[in-house]
Amino acid sequence: MTDPALRKRRNYDENSLQNGSGINVDDYTDDTKKVNVSNLSPSKYSHLIGLSIVTIAGFFVTFYKIWYPAEVVFDEVHFGKFAGYYLRRTYFFDVHPPLAKMMLAAVGYMVGYDGHFEFDNIGDSYIENNVPYIALRALPASLNVFCIALMYSIMKESGYSVCTCFLTASLYLLDNAIVAQHRLIMLDSMLIFFMLATVYSYIRFRKVRHQEFSATWWAWLLATGVTMALTLSVKMVGLFLVAAIGICVIVDLWDLLDIKRGISIDHFIKHFYARALGLIAVPAFIYMFWFYVHFAILVESGPGDTFMSSAFQETLKNSAIKMKSLDIHYNDDIRLMHKDTEKYLHSHDLEYPLRYDDGRISSQGQQVTAITVPDDNSWWRIKPTKEISEDEPVPIIHGDIVQLEHVGTETILLTHDVASPLMSTNEEVTTVDLDERYNETLFQVLFDDHNNGDIWQTYMKAVRLVHMDTKVAIWTHPKNLPDWGLGHQEVNGNKNLMDKSNYWVATEIDGLNATEINLEKKKEIKTIPFIFKFVELLGRMLSHNSGLTKPHPYQSNAISWPLLSRGISYWSKDDTKEQIYMTGNVFGWYLSMVGTIIYTGAIIIDTICRRRDVAWIEEPLRRRLIQSAGFFILLWLLHYIPFFAMGRALFLHHYLPAAACNYLLLGAVFQYLFITSVDSPTSDLRRNQSALEEIHPVGPAHAQTSTQAQPTTKTYIIATIILALQFACFVFLSPLTYGSPGLSIDEVQRRKVFSGWDLQFAK
Amino acid sequence: MENLKRRHPPQQKISSYSPPPPYSDIYESVSLNGDNCSGTYSTKEKSHRIYKDSQFSSRALYFLREYKHTIIAITLTAISLWTRFRKIDVSDIVVWDEAHFGKFGSFYLKNEFYFDVHPPLGKMLVGLSGYLAGYNGSFGFDSGKHYPPEVNFKFMRLFNATWGALLVPLAYLTATQFKMSQKASLLAATMVLADTAYLCISRFILLDSMLLFFTCLSLFTLSVFHNLQDQSFSKSWWLWLVLTGLSLGCVLSVKWVGLFAVALVGLYTAEDLWEKLGDVQMPKKKYMGHWIARIICLIVIPAIVYLASFKVHFAILRKSGPGDGQMSSLFQAQLEGNSLSKNPLEVAFGSNVTIKNVAYGGGLLHSHPHLYPSGSTQQQITCYHHKDPNNEWGIAEPRYEENQDVPEVDGIRYLKDGDVVRLVHLATGRNLHTHPIAAPITSSHWEVSGYGNASMGDIQDNWKIEIVKDLTHNDKNHLRSLSTRFRLRNVQLGCLLGSHNTILPQWGYKQYEVYCDKRNQTDNDKTLWNIEEHKNEKLPKPPKNTYKSKFLDDFIQLNVAMWTSNNALIPDPDKEDILASTPLQWPFVSIGLRMCGWGDKQFKFYLLGNPIVWWLSSGSLVAFSLLYSFYSIRAQRQINDMKPEKSENFFYVGKTLFLGWFLHYAPFFIMGRVTYLHHYFPSLYFSIFMAPFLLDHLTAKASARTQNLVFGAVFTAVIGTFIYFAPFAYGMMGPISSYAGRRWLTKWNLLDTF
Repeated sequence: MTDPALRKRRNYDENSLQNGSGINVDDYTDDTKKVNVSNLSPSKYSHLIGLSIVTIAGFFVTFYKIWYPAEVVFDEVHFGKFAGYYLRRTYFFDVHPPLAKMMLAAVGYMVGYDGHFEFDNIGDSYIENNVPYIALRALPASLNVFCIALMYSIMKESGYSVCTCFLTASLYLLDNAIVAQHRLIMLDSMLIFFMLATVYSYIRFRKVRHQEFSATWWAWLLATGVTMALTLSVKMVGLFLVAAIGICVIVDLWDLLDIKRGISIDHFIKHFYARALGLIAVPAFIYMFWFYVHFAILVESGPGDTFMSSAFQETLKNSAIKMKSLDIHYNDDIRLMHKDTEKYLHSHDLEYPLRYDDGRISSQGQQVTAITVPDDNSWWRIKPTKEISEDEPVPIIHGDIVQLEHVGTETILLTHDVASPLMSTNEEVTTVDLDERYNETLFQVLFDDHNNGDIWQTYMKAVRLVHMDTKVAIWTHPKNLPDWGLGHQEVNGNKNLMDKSNYWVATEIDGLNATEINLEKKKEIKTIPFIFKFVELLGRMLSHNSGLTKPHPYQSNAISWPLLSRGISYWSKDDTKEQIYMTGNVFGWYLSMVGTIIYTGAIIIDTICRRRDVAWIEEPLRRRLIQSAGFFILLWLLHYIPFFAMGRALFLHHYLPAAACNYLLLGAVFQYLFITSVDSPTSDLRRNQSALEEIHPVGPAHAQTSTQAQPTTKTYIIATIILALQFACFVFLSPLTYGSPGLSIDEVQRRKVFSGWDLQFAK
Repeated sequence: MENLKRRHPPQQKISSYSPPPPYSDIYESVSLNGDNCSGTYSTKEKSHRIYKDSQFSSRALYFLREYKHTIIAITLTAISLWTRFRKIDVSDIVVWDEAHFGKFGSFYLKNEFYFDVHPPLGKMLVGLSGYLAGYNGSFGFDSGKHYPPEVNFKFMRLFNATWGALLVPLAYLTATQFKMSQKASLLAATMVLADTAYLCISRFILLDSMLLFFTCLSLFTLSVFHNLQDQSFSKSWWLWLVLTGLSLGCVLSVKWVGLFAVALVGLYTAEDLWEKLGDVQMPKKKYMGHWIARIICLIVIPAIVYLASFKVHFAILRKSGPGDGQMSSLFQAQLEGNSLSKNPLEVAFGSNVTIKNVAYGGGLLHSHPHLYPSGSTQQQITCYHHKDPNNEWGIAEPRYEENQDVPEVDGIRYLKDGDVVRLVHLATGRNLHTHPIAAPITSSHWEVSGYGNASMGDIQDNWKIEIVKDLTHNDKNHLRSLSTRFRLRNVQLGCLLGSHNTILPQWGYKQYEVYCDKRNQTDNDKTLWNIEEHKNEKLPKPPKNTYKSKFLDDFIQLNVAMWTSNNALIPDPDKEDILASTPLQWPFVSIGLRMCGWGDKQFKFYLLGNPIVWWLSSGSLVAFSLLYSFYSIRAQRQINDMKPEKSENFFYVGKTLFLGWFLHYAPFFIMGRVTYLHHYFPSLYFSIFMAPFLLDHLTAKASARTQNLVFGAVFTAVIGTFIYFAPFAYGMMGPISSYAGRRWLTKWNLLDTF
């Protein structure tokens, strides 16, 4: 038990004890006296060179042939179209928040694009349709260049050596998936840019943590909050980033709470409020701001109308629903359409057979069914059950009790406790002669959303017709009656009154032409408070997003992403045999996975060893691995694992944010493996010392004890080999990334690295 | 001696601010008195062995103490049995899921093979109760039917209710093991006793009472084992570890939710081993011993119990029955009374066959006169386990191109490897067909459809037979029924006919998707088929053949089929299941369940938790979370509210209960399948303990008077509501409107009106 490692561990314990700091309080015990800032200056210089080189290289790699193909590629179908809608101020609906699309629209606006093109099909020509697509693509492409710079800067600010920073940024730069995705009119470039900016800001914030509440501290805290909000305003996956930052902040606060830190509770609460303001209030405000802009721009009725409630649609200019809507009054003849199945309530002069095939017995009443195309037998008259004035028409409001008369046969709608033809659990719906069985013919009209005094209108209000006597709702479902029912859809009484499919919409009033009447009336545009619009849209986005379960031929499982066993065919051109196939750099992705495994393995082994009082990894190095690399792996996990629980259709490009985080982790692991010495502290400034003192070099006396990690020749050789392989793999796959040049069958076959890659022109 | 090492000093001082828990110092004397404990004990007595208390010098007093505990447990059992047994046969109709489980029990008595999504142990016990009741398995258990006089359903219900009744003494004993006070332990037992939902579900022929019993037994054995931590590798330590493993095995063999109990014990064990890893003093050998003991007792033993339950299941069900279709063709052939043994051996042109997918869980190639709603909109081809005439296919001559020579047909032509055939669906006359259109679900494969008829069709109707292996013959040239495994390759497209456990939506009647696999994988079971049924009158009768399938293969096959069927129990968006509920409704008691018809002239049973018990339990979970955070924050500020050993017990018990509740509850949120109220019952058990546990904790410093007042109030409320709501579980006769006052929440569908 007295091996040297154990002794080492004990030393560290003593050190930290002397300093009065816990494990997580990275106080850099042995750095207090031996930081050598002068040693950092040349590396700062070289950092500048390194950063410039990758950024310039990134510019060329990203913008290479950005004008090609001059056709609509994959999801440009959606996002190009959405940008166009902003320019035409037409309301549309999308599952993603608005920011990135508005950025694209802003670029389009600046170059004078009017948004006329519909981006209908992959392969539609931009040149023929006169779309400034290069300008539109330039936005994500430029942001990708910034992403590369951010990758470098994140590593630099985390205290990694020039070699590691350069390697990490270059690996990211030479990734086929990222290049392919980020030079097209899609949202991922914005997403990753804001995500990396958040990570960068948070690291900067952490570095100034000992200058509590200083201007710089506040600036980086707010920068974190703002960029986080921007990420979330691009795509909902920004929530994963919020979760990651949230976890870090909670851990940070937990450490601050530790009594050994000597912070009073009041002071702690001040910290808490600062973070609540910077990371919750400000982001929430910014997030909502973009929706405010969204609603302010989109004032015209458009394809998004039908996704929203009728109250919302009324706020749009020329909305179709408003043009078609009319107030419904007693004794009007109306058509009723079932909202879910779009079938019309119908009855005809035929009766239910006495005995069904399964032996059950009916009431032999007149059939009530639902049909696709309304006819003369689909008119229903709303009859009052209360005294109404004869002089002027009386409208129907929420909660009114009515009778429904079938105009064609002059009978009254009724339901009773007799099993329906197809469902023994539901009630049969039939009609009886006027004035018969009065109590069983009463129905209550209940609107789906109602304010006091709302009037039942065609199209605007969906209603449930609830039977007063037996408490069932008139309902229909996609099952057809046998021949005796002419194959119409069955209508019955549903005992589950809260069923979402109980709703019916009145579509027409006999003898009234809605369009003409409404043209004359020229209705005013209503307004509803922004917050209601926001909440409604958010709810619909979420439910629609989880509803995207329709299988897509190029969808893939989350498990296949890091293994890259499947890509996505974005675009292809038959005559030149060119294609864009979105897939990652095989070398880089597998190396990233190896990095992750090494990291996890090292941490697990070290944790177990420490449990046995053996420090396998030295304490400062472990802190670095936990705090910096640990942050990266947390980001990777949170951007990847949640997809396993998602029911919607998933695609490889959902992994790109995680892939970027994985490259950061790979950089950290590279440093750990090949630059063995321990690094200098990442925080420039320590607490209780003014900034000025810190910036001045401490003096040559401590030069030899510098903890700045120095790469060796071996390090450079390995980095060069990794970079060369990444470059080779990138170039090899680049025809699939840039969509040119065309490849022969043989060449395509050679690029089919995994059998799951369904490349075009492979046969 | 290792087991002499103790965590606490022998003379533990009882803390001044808390009343002494009855056995807070029980460990001190155990080993010293160890020699007293030889001889045979019943399990229950053994659990009491550790209670010996050296503080009681007088043996008489000591026995009185022991006697008191036993008498409480026995009294509780008696009361519990009375509440469970009383008026058990009041309703003589088949209530609710008795229709399923009674029927499954009957299959064991008839020895007929059936299929169900649950493992067999619970249903075998139902079968056992029927056997003991002298029932011969002939009753069909149709829902709502009256029991015929020859079925002693009362005995069968009593048998089930006994398991449910045993929850109460178990709850008491578990609580004492958690070192709760006498009052709190009694309260825990009373809450279990007075829960109307537990009462109601225990009184019918269902699996839930057994599931609950084994779940509670696992918690009890774990709690005893935990208290033996300081006597590692002693006899009783081993005994309780083994018992934990056995009860885990049993709960797992009743329903798969037992996995959550396994997870709870697993997490406890992981933490325990992690703690021990930190103990640098412990010899490495001993540490390894801890690992090995747990692997044997908590992994190997449960696995053996689970496997054994299936072994018995297969052994009892030796006759062919309604569940045949789920199993491999070979398994079916060995069941008594199965027609497969009459199959002619070699398949020839003109034979009528059914074709079975070989992969685990594979079904029979099926078609029916319904069309794909999208894609080609031709006739659907699916895989299906139920045996009906729509599974029959004729083996016909392929389509020949015009310039191709049509071979002479003379007499019987046996199928050989490489032969090209056309498969005709006999019921509709359509040909098995594929085309370059994406399959409905797995869009990376081609769709397979029924197309054309005898005269109309094209070359894409042709399939080439590629024999892969034969289980009984070495020769791979001939196609034999049952034993030959082959692939069907579409001649035109080169893809392989395949099926997998992906379920079609409602339009495909939840049958399995069939596709044509483009990938051409040679190691894929999903594209492997065998002939199951084979009819051809021209062919000679088969030789006597005894097929043997491997137990492990059958076991996996059945478990895969259970898994797939379980996943197919997804909510049907087209119709609302009035019985189903969502997990979020459960802890708030915002849902009840009607267990039978609601007519005035029948006994009505309404499955609803005792609201006071449930709300108290759910509330105490929230209270514990808050308390936990509170203590953690205080600890971070170095404020210690409890003595170390107190706080250790508080966190151990609280964590175990909370985790037990969470593990049994949270998974239902991500489960795709339909969920019902009774899925919450195992979870509830853990939360029930939380209330007395916290009451104990919070009133520890209060005076005896206050304690009595608080506990008295809770006891009264629990028992009062129980008596008030008891008719829900004992059956309500007459119009339900007379119970209208009991509808505390409008969400309860006790009445039809809203």
